[in-house]
Amino acid sequence: MIQLFLGLVLRAVVVLTGTALATFSLLWHAPGDPALAIALARFNAVVSTEVVDQIRVEAGLDAGFWTAFKAWILPLLGGDFGSSSVTGRAVWPDLVTAMSYTAPLALSGLLIGVAVSVPLAILAARRPGGWLDRSAVAVASLGAAIPTYWLGLLLILLFAVQLGWLPAMGARTPVHIILPALTLGLGVAASLTRILRSGILEARGQPFLPAIRRRGVASRAIERAHVAPHAAIPVVTVFGLELAFLLEGAVIIEVIFARPGLGTFLVTAIETRDFPKVQAVVILAALLFVTVNLVIDLIYRALDPRIGSRDA
Amino acid sequence: MTISISGLSVSRSGRTLLHPTTVNIEPGERVGLVGASGSGKSTLGHALVDALRRQGHSVAHVPQSPDEALDPLRSMGFHWAEAESALDLAPDVARQKALFEALRIDGGDLRKRPWGWSRGMQQRFVIAMGLIGTPDLLVMDEPTSALDPVVAARSMDLLDRYLADRQTALLLITHDLGLAARRMSRLMVMHEGRIVEDAPTAALLAAPGTAAAKALCLHRNWLALPC
Amino acid sequence: MLSVENIAVRYRGVTVLQDISLTLAAGRTLAVVGESGAGKSTLIGTILGLVRCSAGQVTWNKAPVRRCRPALVMQEPRSAFNPRVSLRRSVTEPLIAERRPVDENQMAALCRSLDIPTDLLERRPSAVSIGQAQRIGILRALIAAPPLVLFDEPLSALDAVTQKHTARMIADLQAKEGFAALIVTHDLGYAAAYADHIAVLRAGRIEELTTAQAFIDAPQTAYGRELRDAAFALGALERVA
Repeated sequence: MIQLFLGLVLRAVVVLTGTALATFSLLWHAPGDPALAIALARFNAVVSTEVVDQIRVEAGLDAGFWTAFKAWILPLLGGDFGSSSVTGRAVWPDLVTAMSYTAPLALSGLLIGVAVSVPLAILAARRPGGWLDRSAVAVASLGAAIPTYWLGLLLILLFAVQLGWLPAMGARTPVHIILPALTLGLGVAASLTRILRSGILEARGQPFLPAIRRRGVASRAIERAHVAPHAAIPVVTVFGLELAFLLEGAVIIEVIFARPGLGTFLVTAIETRDFPKVQAVVILAALLFVTVNLVIDLIYRALDPRIGSRDA
Repeated sequence: MTISISGLSVSRSGRTLLHPTTVNIEPGERVGLVGASGSGKSTLGHALVDALRRQGHSVAHVPQSPDEALDPLRSMGFHWAEAESALDLAPDVARQKALFEALRIDGGDLRKRPWGWSRGMQQRFVIAMGLIGTPDLLVMDEPTSALDPVVAARSMDLLDRYLADRQTALLLITHDLGLAARRMSRLMVMHEGRIVEDAPTAALLAAPGTAAAKALCLHRNWLALPC
Repeated sequence: MLSVENIAVRYRGVTVLQDISLTLAAGRTLAVVGESGAGKSTLIGTILGLVRCSAGQVTWNKAPVRRCRPALVMQEPRSAFNPRVSLRRSVTEPLIAERRPVDENQMAALCRSLDIPTDLLERRPSAVSIGQAQRIGILRALIAAPPLVLFDEPLSALDAVTQKHTARMIADLQAKEGFAALIVTHDLGYAAAYADHIAVLRAGRIEELTTAQAFIDAPQTAYGRELRDAAFALGALERVA
């Protein structure tokens, strides 16, 4: 068990290091002069080459790749995300503020996704091939095919412009979260519904179920105690992917709905070549991924100990 | 309680798998249901168990392989508790202990899941689960074919010993007349969805009437050795 | 003659087979019996040359065993065939591998011996019964006339009557073709009825290797006795007055 845990942690460390190196290298080798971009962002005007050169030295851009990488990664290991190349402010507090907008959005998106997909999948799986099942699958496939930004615009058109029921832009009141969360949640619901539905159907075909029924166990108890855990396995498996969808979706949605948050934070940082900020977001996302996948791995093994077991 | 059922039939998508059939089994009787593969033995077994349960009989069914009886995600203890509550019985440690000792699985760890036990022990656990409610009839579908012979023979011997002074009747479904003839007192021969012969074992072996029974009798053992 | 000399197979520090020695002459039958996990399938793998021995060697007439192209009959007859091509195509594969033409006369003779109507070969595996599929599996094993044929639980997917018919056919073909047969089975009844010798494999070792008659009369080990008694208890063997 300890060996297993260490193995998983080691995997996490490798992924994190790789991500850090890859992002840094991508930013470093991106076309254009970063110092110029920073200068433009800082002064909002065209500046002299002396100023640009000064910024280059200040931001550590004049040093070699490895020197710059070390200058960034070493403080990070101590928990220091550095400060913005543009404003000079520490990255961490701004990052926390951004997260305080994105986390509720992602969470409510997830909640909506689960709240829609679980009952829908159960209803659809009740009579496979029936009209309810077929329409659920059709809607879910359609939902998975529609890009998030398009769905977001559609919802804005309908609820904000046509009906005027909900606000679309910004994040001033709690009501402002409804439309973006709905956009995100429906996307999650689309993929979860399909996975859960096929999980339930597959679980119903397990070879031991007829024998348990013949033992006199009520069908509701069978669904709860035997079908549900088997149906849950594929859902747990794709949860890591769902998380990717949530993060990616949140970034796009924040831009569409003009909401503050990680997405807006990241897009602005990229535009202004604010290296420390971009890297902070990427590292944070990678850390989140690695943690969630680690937890999923452990849940998976608790749910079905045959996985990773020698006797299996 | 004597088991008596008539007009039992099964058809699926227009094909008759089991023609109307009558089955009578006395308390404590040992009956073998024998036939070639595809003759409808298992279909009859399932239909019989379902129909008897509807009649209010207490019946238990042990499938061919433990994989068809136990959920790999659930612990043995869970299966046991589930079987007890399905029979509306309160958990009874003494009853469990007695059954486990009778089938020699008292060393098994109930917290483990099925695959933490050997297959032989899994099957004896399934048999023990079937015996919780002291059923009128225990149906065993090919109990030996998924196990090593030594393990299978041991399961059968332990079950025989447990049932010796009890009222539970046993219906053994098998393609192997040798097995059924060796252990059962009465034989029913099945052919193409019908019971074509039903007689005490000695009588059937001495004078099989139908072609199906004759073929089974002719190829009953691999070798018959002098004593 | 098949000669297995002191072979051992170790895999990731676990000993699967150890000190296995046996011989099998052309036209003879050796049955290997034992519980699941005893190493029966690994033994077949080593003789086919698919599993590497950590020690010892397997030869046929003093040459590496692979050169005699031993054939294999598998337990699950249907899954032994490619489901997408006709059975005829699968059956002739051993000949294609050796770039030999199909001898239609020999094929027809084998089909007759195995009670396979020739039109059956035009079907896909899913369109024949298990019993038929297993006989076609035997046909495929014998089509290139190998001197050595390995049978891995050849009867355990079949019902009791079909088992006996199929065993008879194998024995008749062996008498005609003269191949050496190594049969892995858990059914001591089958072994006792058809094998010249019986080897008891347990936990990777041969515990006993003797003639079938001697084994049934008086097994030398406790496990051997258990096996024999189980065969009587399950009606595979019977004592008559």
